[in-house]
Amino acid sequence: MAQTAKKQSGRPAQTMVVQSGNEIAATAAKQINYHVMGYYPITPSTEVAETLDAMKAEGEHTIRMIPGDGEHGAAGICFGASTAGGRVFNATSANGLLFAFEQLPVQSGERFPMVFNIVTRAVSGPLDIRGDHSDIMLAMNTGWITLMAADAQAVYDMNVMAPKIGEEMSVRLPVMVAFDGFFTSHQKRRVEIFADDQVVRDFLGPFVPTVSSVDMKTPVTIGPYMNDPDQINNKKQQSDAIIRSYDVIKKVFAEYEALSGRRYDLVECYRMEDAEAALFILNSAAETAKEAVDALRKEGLKVGLIRPNVIRPFPIEEVRAVLKNVKGLVVADRQDNFGGWGGAMAIEVKAALQGLKGNATQVAARVYGTGGKEFFVEDAAAMLREALEIAKTGTVSVPYAYFGANPGDPSFTPAKAFDPITEAQASGLIRVETTPEGKMEVKGNILRNLTERPKRIGPGHGACPGCGIFVNMNTFMKGIEGHVVILFHTGCGMVVTTGYPYTAHKITYIHNLFQNGAATLSGVVEMFAERKARGEIPKDEKITFIMVTGDGGHDIGMGPSIGAAMRNHRMIICEYDNQGYQNTGSQLSFTVPLGQSTSTSNYGPHQHGKATHHKDTAQIFAACHVPYVCTVAENNPRDMIRKAAKAQKYADEGLVFVKMISMCPLAWKTEERMSVPIIQASVDCCFFPLYEVEHGVTTINYDPEEKGKKVPVTEFLKHMGKTKHMLKPDCKPELDRFQAEVDRRWVRLKEMHKNPLL
Amino acid sequence: MTQSGKAVKLPVKNDLGFFEIRMESIGGLGANVAGKILTEAAIIGMGMNGAGFASYGSEKKGTPVKGFVRICEGDQKVRINSPVEEPHVLAIFHEALAKSVPVTAGAVPGKTVVILNTRRTPAEARDFLKLEGGRVGVVDAMEIAMATGSRVNMVMMGAIMKAAGFYEWKAVEETVLAQFGKKYASLMKSNMEALQRGFDEVAFGEFPADGKFPATPFTREEPKLGYETAPIGGTIYSVGNMRFKDLSTSRTGTIPLFILDKCTRCGECDITCPDYCFVWEKGKDPKTGKDGMVLLGIDYQYCKGCLRCTHICKFGALLPSKEAEQDMDKITVKHKFLK
Repeated sequence: MAQTAKKQSGRPAQTMVVQSGNEIAATAAKQINYHVMGYYPITPSTEVAETLDAMKAEGEHTIRMIPGDGEHGAAGICFGASTAGGRVFNATSANGLLFAFEQLPVQSGERFPMVFNIVTRAVSGPLDIRGDHSDIMLAMNTGWITLMAADAQAVYDMNVMAPKIGEEMSVRLPVMVAFDGFFTSHQKRRVEIFADDQVVRDFLGPFVPTVSSVDMKTPVTIGPYMNDPDQINNKKQQSDAIIRSYDVIKKVFAEYEALSGRRYDLVECYRMEDAEAALFILNSAAETAKEAVDALRKEGLKVGLIRPNVIRPFPIEEVRAVLKNVKGLVVADRQDNFGGWGGAMAIEVKAALQGLKGNATQVAARVYGTGGKEFFVEDAAAMLREALEIAKTGTVSVPYAYFGANPGDPSFTPAKAFDPITEAQASGLIRVETTPEGKMEVKGNILRNLTERPKRIGPGHGACPGCGIFVNMNTFMKGIEGHVVILFHTGCGMVVTTGYPYTAHKITYIHNLFQNGAATLSGVVEMFAERKARGEIPKDEKITFIMVTGDGGHDIGMGPSIGAAMRNHRMIICEYDNQGYQNTGSQLSFTVPLGQSTSTSNYGPHQHGKATHHKDTAQIFAACHVPYVCTVAENNPRDMIRKAAKAQKYADEGLVFVKMISMCPLAWKTEERMSVPIIQASVDCCFFPLYEVEHGVTTINYDPEEKGKKVPVTEFLKHMGKTKHMLKPDCKPELDRFQAEVDRRWVRLKEMHKNPLL
Repeated sequence: MTQSGKAVKLPVKNDLGFFEIRMESIGGLGANVAGKILTEAAIIGMGMNGAGFASYGSEKKGTPVKGFVRICEGDQKVRINSPVEEPHVLAIFHEALAKSVPVTAGAVPGKTVVILNTRRTPAEARDFLKLEGGRVGVVDAMEIAMATGSRVNMVMMGAIMKAAGFYEWKAVEETVLAQFGKKYASLMKSNMEALQRGFDEVAFGEFPADGKFPATPFTREEPKLGYETAPIGGTIYSVGNMRFKDLSTSRTGTIPLFILDKCTRCGECDITCPDYCFVWEKGKDPKTGKDGMVLLGIDYQYCKGCLRCTHICKFGALLPSKEAEQDMDKITVKHKFLK
């Protein structure tokens, strides 16, 4: 809903909307109609791509939206697209930015403009999804122009201005627009936007490439190998360009003010005219802090606030000018440059003041609000009072400190929840015997008796009602004897089982980010082996190592998993496949089948869900020729337990891969209690066949055709809200293609079952 | 200015010029959407300014969530970003939350109108929430939502509008239409009916701060483990301590009921339960007298009411039941975790 467009004093008409920072970033991108967006979902920036995808399904723009295999891949897509001569857009946060990090200097050093929205968030570890500035401050020195958007209106305005700044011929640099995760990204605010997209497009003009990798008349070499003595000259060019952008930014800000009526300066100075003490602080916290400035001003105290709109290039002249008469300054950073005696801005401000004649500003560095810790008006007031104290005394008694950290309660001891599970308690229920023909047989696979097995994950986890992950994990673990060490990739399973200071895991658990779980567990496995070899751990100590990932974690983390498979470490990789990135709000993963709707593959008149077929992860691992690969489903628990027992045995030889289909009632839009019939249908329609591959020999464990139970894929799709549209006439082509692909893969599998050489 | 051209005045404001609303809910009841609509209606439909946001984290369905709305007059800027602590309207979407979350924190008699989704009377609601005093509204949002084919959030929004006093019907209606109209046009009638009934049927009581219950000021809680006491690196030594959590607030009215006589101890329920609620023990089978694993019952502290088990049990030993009709303390069987 938008208010009627208003035209003011000869300027183009603007419309009032209520949108979050993420939504308004997407709105600006839609108005610009970028050529390409390469992206990968990560909280809290995901909504930018989601909003654009929903708009695309309705035909509101023609941006080519490319989901990367991870942020590194997404950044590669963006780099490639930008070499090909068009406008490029991306959005990410925190570890997404860090995963893309290597590409940032490539983009700037080879001088291809693009716009990257950084929805700022704490970087791991430990994993924290809330807003701080630890991501953007790490990226600050990668050669990108960096604009700081303090609220939703600024997110819009800066997104409109950013391409114009970066594309200026004297600049040709990529631009980051950073705004605060959750505080700005998720808060709905009143925003004025241009009523007509064309106004934005005219303001920017057409994209003018300086280089194009697809201009066949002018062949070029992009990204040559360049050592000394040349590289320093490339860097000098780059430095000159970002210094030149100083004036370009001012020019574009002025042009935009003329167009929109909204003024931006390199540095916003709030009530600084006669201020003796000030707070230097960025983005949303600065807006909150203005309330404290007003309150202290009412007491007659001469305080003010400094909030830069641009941090790269650092507005050194403006900062020096505003600090001319300031005696006491607190620079508050929502991150820490560990060991650097202050956060990024504190160090920058101190450097700006260095050697400035006649300046008497004393600076205190404060680290506040990290990991998203709330920032209140009272906090800002306390910082301003510190600044006043510095101004009064002329000395900084505490030059560097954390603001708002808590020492804890010394009398508190966390309560014990469980005794460690002993080897004996976890053993003796299941045996794997090898027949004279060399086949493995599993004994003791009786569900009732297996209720005695201590659960390795305890109750109390925060998964959604009906979640399939914990059904799969529990059932699988019933087949595993003895000690287990488990590693979870980032994802729903990880987030809901650990939320500090709580954990649902009763056995030792490790988390690593989902680019890297398999590599991490490889390290654990090998250290265990080496310490055993050195006699540091008893030789007879046995641990089964299991890595758990979602199908999403196995998009971004596929490389390290294949690496682990090729090295054949003695471990099990379990992939719970819930068909999407459910932890970030059900975006498409590569395992999502053709035509299905997710928040980044919407169904609408201009887009019929996901455009490509589902990834076959089990076959990828089979092609790695590991000892054992299997698929399991909760509708056949005894099959799953049998395969778990075999998996444990095969993990004595090398790597095992297990794929579990896992219902997500929320994303699949199904009734929570209906899991078993839906999973059954997925198996019976041969979308998710149950089979195992032992040393390259494939066996189908349940053949619905043979049992007369094979059903068309529609019997699976009809149960789920996310796929109901596929039964509509307009999706018939997608439905037919999906059915044909499922049939093709099933026939192929049957041939493999028949022939041990396939 | 409203669409009719009148400037809307807020009935009351805090020191920073805002009328503030806080919603206490669980993921899945639509508090976030309600906040969005209440914000947008005030800004677009009534010419005011404001902000709408929530207590974001990685909240899953059924976990506690807070929604915030801040409204000010149209010419004022919104600068503050911190959560609402002492609201003018405090709407509690899910009464079971009061067991595990300090939902009434910051409710100030004379300032805050508390609205509870409940079957209780205002006086019973005041006692249930242990409110110091003030204006308390009750509405059976679950019942109205079911009757109208709408959702709890629409009913609660109607009640919030009544308590707030300044919302214009047309502005809210148009925002609801803009929110759902395109995708869920068929639900528009149900939604408007639910909104109207929430507005009409919320019943208020006024209670003096008579000392019956103490004040519930908002406190910014700090964790017990801090930089001097927490193990370095974030390592947790108290393994499995999520068992101390009470997840019963995730339920929205239904539970599985265990009928011991029908149980064959097949073990299927222990497979299908994602929340590990079934309590098994070594013992004598009540039917055969043989030694073996025996199902004693359900630990409802962890049951989120997904009803998977009622679907999987072929023997009728697990049946869906209304939680309100059961004495939960009596039917729950606790896990024995430590020897």
